[in-house]
Amino acid sequence: MNLGISAVEFVSQAKDGTISVEEFVAKTLDRIKKVDEIIHAFITVDTQNALDKAKAIDKKIKSKEKIGSCFGMPVSIKDNICTAGIKTTCASKMLENFVAPYDATVVSRLKSEDAIIIGKVNLDEFAMGSTTEFSYFGPTRNPWNLEYIPGGSSGGSGASVAALECLASLGSDTGGSVRSPASFCSVVGLKPTYGLISRYGLVSYANSIEQVGPIAKTVEDVAFLLNIVSGHDPHDNTTANNEHIDYVKDLKSGVSGKKIGIISQMIEDGIDKEVASATDTAISKLQNLGAECIQISLDAVEHSVAAYYTIAAAEASSNLARYDNLRYGFDFGTEGYEFKAFVSKARSNFGPEVTRRMLLGAFVLSAGYYGKYYLKAQKVRAMIKAQLDEAFKKVDYLISPTMPILPFKVGEKIDDPLKLYLTDINTVTANLSGIPAVSVPFSMSSSGLPIGMQLFANSFKEKELLQAAYALQETTNLPEISL
Amino acid sequence: MVERKEIEHLGDLVKVDLNEPEKYIKQVEQILNYFDRLDKVEFHSDDTLRTQITTDGLRDDVHEPYGDSLIGHLKKDQNNFIRAPKMV
Repeated sequence: MNLGISAVEFVSQAKDGTISVEEFVAKTLDRIKKVDEIIHAFITVDTQNALDKAKAIDKKIKSKEKIGSCFGMPVSIKDNICTAGIKTTCASKMLENFVAPYDATVVSRLKSEDAIIIGKVNLDEFAMGSTTEFSYFGPTRNPWNLEYIPGGSSGGSGASVAALECLASLGSDTGGSVRSPASFCSVVGLKPTYGLISRYGLVSYANSIEQVGPIAKTVEDVAFLLNIVSGHDPHDNTTANNEHIDYVKDLKSGVSGKKIGIISQMIEDGIDKEVASATDTAISKLQNLGAECIQISLDAVEHSVAAYYTIAAAEASSNLARYDNLRYGFDFGTEGYEFKAFVSKARSNFGPEVTRRMLLGAFVLSAGYYGKYYLKAQKVRAMIKAQLDEAFKKVDYLISPTMPILPFKVGEKIDDPLKLYLTDINTVTANLSGIPAVSVPFSMSSSGLPIGMQLFANSFKEKELLQAAYALQETTNLPEISL
Repeated sequence: MVERKEIEHLGDLVKVDLNEPEKYIKQVEQILNYFDRLDKVEFHSDDTLRTQITTDGLRDDVHEPYGDSLIGHLKKDQNNFIRAPKMV
């Protein structure tokens, strides 16, 4: 049985009885047992429930009962998305034993279509990081080379899909957290338009910029998942009440006659030579498909990392105030405490990156600095949006490499947070402006490390965005993972 | 220049016992220095990005009782009383 099939292929084979869902899920669980000791993508594996659900779905298939469109597809969920009955730890000591009393809307939508939640996957603590090294449970490794980071913060999602430990995953993207691991693990990852997917049940970090996003092996799979998880949710008032769109239909429309803007600021300083050359190749391949590519300058991008980290830290410091050890946290017994000591004793269990961002957030919001940092960051955000609005008057899509550099070794940059922040230069623009962006696996470096290309479209143009992503995907011929 | 007492004050604001405040001084300072580039941006407008959300979609204001699953999350003693630490 081939675990390397796509999610869409799995559905068609389960539907016509070529494969048994139970057998596929059991094989997937065996695979997790075999490879996850070294990759460490999973925090929790829900073995028994997954097998029981698979058996029940096989029964339904045999008796020709109505079945959801996922047909028992094994899916992993980033561990900052709530799942009733399975721990949601946010990769933090703070929530080590937290079990949410409800499912996030994205999870209940997947379940209602008979997807099987096979487990919860690793992330940087509270999704703050871009390497998955800042997890209380230890780092996740890149399945393409175990010495390297898988990207992050949804590193467990990217690695679990790449290592064939599930067919698809849901991550969350606050500053590139879906696209970075997608790029570094050679899988597809979509950051949708702000408001396309419900955030109900996603543990809050920076509410004004974060979105849940699907990660899968192919663009078709991402479109398939988007059909299920997108749409208005009465539990999340920031979701748009748009007409339902079928993202799978017309996916193969191509890019002929479309205009693509190459963002100058994302292919300049500091970009790895092999990434730059892959970007040139991607552009010429899109031109060969009939697209017209022009240079577009977005000078606000130069300020995007500073603006992004100011806003994200500010929102993080207020969001994480809720971990006061009253509603979540540790059992300190019943002896007497001074209130503040009780709270700060518990909160000293936050990891170093979360603590750093809370300190920064408190600083940029404090009297005297609010105008200098936070307000200016918000103005940069408006500036970026205005420049993008102008750009999308001229072009249908924008393109850049997803990450300006190749994956690097575990531990290499962990002591230099600013260096890590700067690797987000190409991804934060989509979060600050709310527009959608997708990372498509494009090529491999000479050392065998994945390189992903990023395509952007205007707000709520995911259908067109995925059409371009599909066209780009079809120009590639990438190796299979040998793990 | 970020000083130890500033970091300790920030730790106080975010209610965290900083075991090693020194660890954060250099890094926070380095990051804030980078944020200082926001001073150099030439703004042609005072606009900030705002998203308008209608309040039509709010759910009805009706009482929804707590389910057992929520009550189950509370710490209890052997007599099934809710247990909380004593505050002094």
